[in-house]
Amino acid sequence: MTDNPLKPSLRPGFALASLPLSPALISAFGVLLITVIALFTAPYVGMADNGDYFRNIYSNGLYFNLPDYDSKYFGYFVKQYGIYQYFNENGATLDSSQSLFIKLAIGLNKLLFSSKVFDIRFQAAIYTILYVVAVYMLIEAITWKMSKKQGLVIAVIAIFIFGDTGYTAYFNSFYSESVVMIMMIFVFASWLSIYRKRYNDYAMLAVLVISSLILTTSKQQNAPVGMVIAMLAVPLIWIRRDRIFRYLVMGSIALLMFTGIATYLNISKEFVNINQYHAMTRGVLKESTNPETTLKSFGINDQYSILKGNIYYEQYGTVDVNSPILEKDFYSRYGFGSILKYYVANPGQLGAILNIAADSAFTIKPVAMGNYEESAGKVFRAQSHFFSIYSLLKKTLVPKTFGFILIWMVLIIGLYIPSFIVAVKSRNIRRMQRMALILTTIAVGLSGIFVSIIGAGDADIAKHEFLFTLSFDLVTFLTFSSVIARRLAGSRQISSNTTSEYPAEAQKGVSI
Amino acid sequence: MNKRVQSILLLLIVAVLLLPASLVHSAAAPQQQVLLLFDSLAIGTAREGNVNELQRQLASLNAKVTLVSLDQYERGAMAPYSNVITVINAPDLAIANKSYLGDLERYKGQYLHIGYSPPASLKKALQLTTGVMYGASADLQIGEFQETGLQVQDMPYIAASKAVQAYGTVSFRDRSLQVPYAVSSGKYTYVPYLVQGNASILAIANVLKDWLHPNVSPQTYLVLKEIYPFSDLELLEKTADELYQDGIPFIASVRPVFSNTDFPAMQRYLEALKIVQSRNGSILVNAPVIMPSINSSDHTLQEKMNGFINLLINNRIAPLGIGADSYWSYDKEYANAGMGFFDSAVLFQDDKQVLYMEQTNTSKTFASSLYSLPLDFLQSVQHKASKAMPAFPLNTAITVDFPQDEAELENMLHSLEQYWIPFADYKQGAHRVVTDTSTISSLQGVISINGQELNIDYTPETVNDDFQYTQEQKKSFTKLFNVQNQFFIVVIIISLLLFGGLLIIGNRMYRKKYMK
Repeated sequence: MTDNPLKPSLRPGFALASLPLSPALISAFGVLLITVIALFTAPYVGMADNGDYFRNIYSNGLYFNLPDYDSKYFGYFVKQYGIYQYFNENGATLDSSQSLFIKLAIGLNKLLFSSKVFDIRFQAAIYTILYVVAVYMLIEAITWKMSKKQGLVIAVIAIFIFGDTGYTAYFNSFYSESVVMIMMIFVFASWLSIYRKRYNDYAMLAVLVISSLILTTSKQQNAPVGMVIAMLAVPLIWIRRDRIFRYLVMGSIALLMFTGIATYLNISKEFVNINQYHAMTRGVLKESTNPETTLKSFGINDQYSILKGNIYYEQYGTVDVNSPILEKDFYSRYGFGSILKYYVANPGQLGAILNIAADSAFTIKPVAMGNYEESAGKVFRAQSHFFSIYSLLKKTLVPKTFGFILIWMVLIIGLYIPSFIVAVKSRNIRRMQRMALILTTIAVGLSGIFVSIIGAGDADIAKHEFLFTLSFDLVTFLTFSSVIARRLAGSRQISSNTTSEYPAEAQKGVSI
Repeated sequence: MNKRVQSILLLLIVAVLLLPASLVHSAAAPQQQVLLLFDSLAIGTAREGNVNELQRQLASLNAKVTLVSLDQYERGAMAPYSNVITVINAPDLAIANKSYLGDLERYKGQYLHIGYSPPASLKKALQLTTGVMYGASADLQIGEFQETGLQVQDMPYIAASKAVQAYGTVSFRDRSLQVPYAVSSGKYTYVPYLVQGNASILAIANVLKDWLHPNVSPQTYLVLKEIYPFSDLELLEKTADELYQDGIPFIASVRPVFSNTDFPAMQRYLEALKIVQSRNGSILVNAPVIMPSINSSDHTLQEKMNGFINLLINNRIAPLGIGADSYWSYDKEYANAGMGFFDSAVLFQDDKQVLYMEQTNTSKTFASSLYSLPLDFLQSVQHKASKAMPAFPLNTAITVDFPQDEAELENMLHSLEQYWIPFADYKQGAHRVVTDTSTISSLQGVISINGQELNIDYTPETVNDDFQYTQEQKKSFTKLFNVQNQFFIVVIIISLLLFGGLLIIGNRMYRKKYMK
């Protein structure tokens, strides 16, 4: 295991001379401009509440101050909320890193706007700034040492993908997807920067670890993310020779693993009733050919087969999901583990439900929630189509089967295998990091699909699969960039560069 | 259960059955328009829920209620109503609405004031002096019911009055003071104290009944709630059997099902309900659960309820009414689309979660509406009668959650025996349910569906569990595709081998040429 034997001839850091026209700056500015237009100018784009907000807002000192708030569920985005003026007796209903951002936004709101009314756009502003920084880092890591022409093409594509309001509309909402998105991009960008040796390794390690921690703890569904990153980040220990770095990486890996496990343990405790209901009715029972036998295998009264396919979002139902009868005879009989075991034992059913999952795995912004305020005069559940070409194309053109996801994975990994083999042969751990990053991102995306199926069946799946759709975009974008760099350059950029920081043999088969 | 108890209960039931139909039911009572005004709902205080209590009691008295907050009262609004009630829950705030005060001075109809700050005109007419008891132990007695040791805070009471009629008594033991619970004279009635959950609800029921329909003889019914398709159906059948053997007629408020109604599980549910019906059980359709994501454009309730009632009818089960939280009768959509099929209802106390779709301040009325009281409530009240429970002032449904196991069933039966309540048979009353295809009617114990008498006797049948849950998709050209699949598998394997071979050859040639 060796560290990179050659010192970089260019100091990592900001190259001020190239700042005005760097692709990273162009894309960051483009994304900023579009996001500001979408989120901060009328009609404001945001997301309607699907009934989940209360979990995030009450514990953070906010409440619904509109008397007719109930009528806006799913239909209209609401931008102002009340701030508790007295002791808040609502304990944290959900331990999420998202609270950090909500609290910060409330602080800013109190400082600049009002101590009684919270305007969600303060939160959107914080997210937008972080997002633009993340996009800058990502594009900088991808386009570093590329020709200006290539960089420009990639910057434009980046604006189309990351400026899409399908993604940014989440900033004007209390869904944790905003945190997931920003932190996932930070993870990707920092790891890629380590691979490219673009910035200081210590700084990038710090970004990687902090963003991974926030990502893992942003929602219970992300518990496996910490574990996946921890496992695949092990080779990072050997990318530098200095002991401090190695100890730091080891410590970080342990911390990530611990956080992942802690979040997982929290799942079983906080596995909320709605999700648990759906995990059975919209998951296990939905594709079961004999729901009565299936229920018996869990030790549940076979009469519950009547709930097959039942969804909480139906306005009129037979039973309240929080009713004592379900608590006593239904929920107590199964959990995350037993459902996982069931799917392992019934791969046919898993396959069927994976295909259902794949059907909405490429949707960024769920159609169930409206994007406009009621005052904008749009119909209930009206969707914004402002700057959403990418999300629309993705939703329409990508084949929606799990088979396609498998082929995509094989293709991506196949494309990067040669450079990885070269890196392995040359024992260049840093060069191997790109494959590690791609595998991590794919694994994180797949965990999103699996956890959502096990945790809540196919209910609300478009929203639950956000992590996959984002991972798909990041990996595909990286692959496209690699292809563009190779094709447009006509030859390999690094090998033609006299200031290369890598040994010649390490660059064989490596594309940017 | 000992034989004596059985025979007394049977006697009581026979007595009930022999009552003339007009007395059995309040359907004949004329409908009154009541304006219910309140200053505050007293949320978070001991008085929380007292306005809702009044709404439910008024519903069972067949009154059409309009609920208006005093802040929103507009000049002249009182005039069309034959009866007006004002509830003042705030001890320290004087009524500021001048329109209300002016209108009240001129009002000619019956006026009932509940709580603090009775108006001057009422005080004058009743020659009333009031006081407030700050923390005391009180005994409340009304009719044959009483509750002792009530801990009261800031309780207004009638210190003196020269009213024509007094209702009940309140005794403050520590202070050796005994005052009337309520007083009435001419068009004025005053009730100082009403708190949900203690005997004051029976006391106010007495006053209201006298105020609106003094001549109707009310009945008491037993209602089993929380019956789901996935409840223990064997236990349901056993419960029905036991109640039947004890001679207790009962009502089962059953949860509706809107999907998967062809599943064997649903068939078993229907079988159980048929057995319940054959054991002198009447069936009510319980209102469906409202999910919090209310969508104002969802108008599927009518179709769903219609489908479920028709499904019951097709299985020779005749629902006679609806069991719903009382707020349903104050929502346009629920009242019309959900309750519109029925002329009879049992209105339960509202659940914690009240989810309106299209709230209205005027209630839907029913020809027959029962006021509900949980069986547990009876623990807190005593009665003077030697054994049998005295009649409640209103048509009342004593509600019990369906037992979860045999021990709970035994407990329930034991409590019912203990209370000696003469339960009436719901079928004896006049009820009518109309769907798009059928009409159910019941009168004096006879149920008819579309004019044909329903025979409720039923011999249990076994449900066939063999059911095709997933429809096999229609496939075409299966043979052709199979052949094609196998052909391609062979072609691909050959191609892979070929390419593999070529790769190996190419690699060798490359090595030979460059790797020397």
